[in-house]
Amino acid sequence: MVEIKNLTKHYGRNIALRGISFEIRDHEILGFLGPNGAGKSTTMNIIAGYLPATSGTVTVNGFDITEQAADAKKCIGYLPEIPPVYPDMRVEEYLVFCAGIKGVKRADVRKQVESAMERLHITDMRRRLIRNLSKGYKQRVGFAQALLGDPKILILDEPTVGLDPAQVSEVRALIRDLGKDHSIIFSSHILAEVSAVCERVVIITKGEIRAVDTIENLERSMTANTLLNLTAEGEKDTVLRILKDIRGVKDIRDVTAADGKVSCKITLETENVRNEIMSSLMANGCNIAEMSMAKLDLEQVFLKVTANEKRSSLQDLLDETPDAPENPYDAE
Amino acid sequence: MFALYKKELQAFFFSPFAYVLSALFMLIFSFGFVTSIANLDSNTLKFSFPEFFYNNFFYFIFIIPLLTMRSFADERRGGTEVLLYSSPLSVTQIVLAKFLAITTVFLFMIVLSLFFPIYAACTGKVIWSSLICAYSGFFLWGLVCIALGMLLSSLTGNAIIAAILGEIVMEGLLFLDQFAATKLVETYPHLNSVVTWFSMQRRFIYFSQGMFRLEDLVFFLSAAALVLCWNIFSIEKRRWSHA
Repeated sequence: MVEIKNLTKHYGRNIALRGISFEIRDHEILGFLGPNGAGKSTTMNIIAGYLPATSGTVTVNGFDITEQAADAKKCIGYLPEIPPVYPDMRVEEYLVFCAGIKGVKRADVRKQVESAMERLHITDMRRRLIRNLSKGYKQRVGFAQALLGDPKILILDEPTVGLDPAQVSEVRALIRDLGKDHSIIFSSHILAEVSAVCERVVIITKGEIRAVDTIENLERSMTANTLLNLTAEGEKDTVLRILKDIRGVKDIRDVTAADGKVSCKITLETENVRNEIMSSLMANGCNIAEMSMAKLDLEQVFLKVTANEKRSSLQDLLDETPDAPENPYDAE
Repeated sequence: MFALYKKELQAFFFSPFAYVLSALFMLIFSFGFVTSIANLDSNTLKFSFPEFFYNNFFYFIFIIPLLTMRSFADERRGGTEVLLYSSPLSVTQIVLAKFLAITTVFLFMIVLSLFFPIYAACTGKVIWSSLICAYSGFFLWGLVCIALGMLLSSLTGNAIIAAILGEIVMEGLLFLDQFAATKLVETYPHLNSVVTWFSMQRRFIYFSQGMFRLEDLVFFLSAAALVLCWNIFSIEKRRWSHA
């Protein structure tokens, strides 16, 4: 449905994208994951035809986004990071205008605007000035705009930012629902959201794609090492010494000690090491209160593929200041 | 394209903007009108609208950057340019729609100013052919100024800066006209012919004298078209280089 080939984008001397390639298939919801400044918004702006790429091609439904721009753009509904709304317009008036510039036939405008408003639950707000709406409602108006013209492809740049938890779950449900008859690419900082909504994910950092796969495959491919959650009774030092002496224990982290119990996460070379841990601890009088095997979750997969071992959590990575502004217009 | 044209017109007429500017235009017009009438020689009692236009052009020309300042600067600042450039509309269509909308508002102001000649016609005799000619010249000159103002608005994200830049350029155009008439320029025939050729006020003189020359019509229309093309290229360049 959408094919992205060797896309590069230079902002003056800064390189925002370094030859990325991936595709969005028919009726799939593709998650686009990456820290700030990774090039997510730039990629989405290029796919939507807002920015031209320095090199590389984007083919939308068979149309090249630069050569056959009008045909390609008709297939796309785009919700940028900041909803592109006119504060001085009323909700309905704005949506009718958007339908107009998207080339919706006059006879269908009313129907499409009504249906978009109903889907986003903004029918009650139709007469309100957009400037008086809350951030969440502005976001919904922007989302409704993306649905006009009945595009086959939806590009959603962080559609849940600024929404309250109830609205977030509503929007997620809406994306899942739209995924039945649309191809959707959406970026998000929230991993739970990506794993809850998407079938496949693209992970991008510093303008390069690090992984494109289904969430299950990514998790499976990263679980060559098994993760063990352990809580044992005994002194912290004793438990750690016993564990470190066992061959096959690669890493021990998140160690906490409380009420005479030690909890930690252990990375094992193979699952069999588990039995040795049990017997060694028991032999030294450290009873095991809890032991469970864990799969690497998406957060750990993400950290692993972005290969930033210095950072302790994904949040650190996502909070990182970008090297170059993603959108120099905003930086002005 | 019509949807964008309509939206632009609504932005002018559904807000006080167009009316305040029209009021300002009418105010300047009426002050000038009253002063000119009061100045009439009691022997001839002849009042010339074309001459009046010519003398007051300095004031009218400064209203145009106020009309054009928001055209692109506001889209850029509000983040709505994403909506336009990611829509199936081409940059050419976007520029044309905005240009036509501002031209319509300008026409609205011109039509309002017809009140004075109509009023004059009720009490005296108006030479309509000469008046239409002066109005045409005024309109054509306005088109070039609108295109220039839009170009300047697309260069910045701040409407106020766009307006100030516009005033500077309008001032520059008027300066060019006066410079062309100086003794210094007249001593250099080649420079004189170039500066005079570009001088819009000198071309306007013909209109104000009731002469509708094809040369001037082509000059004003092509100047407006050229600046509009420049506007389109400047927007495209910014999208491509993004610097």
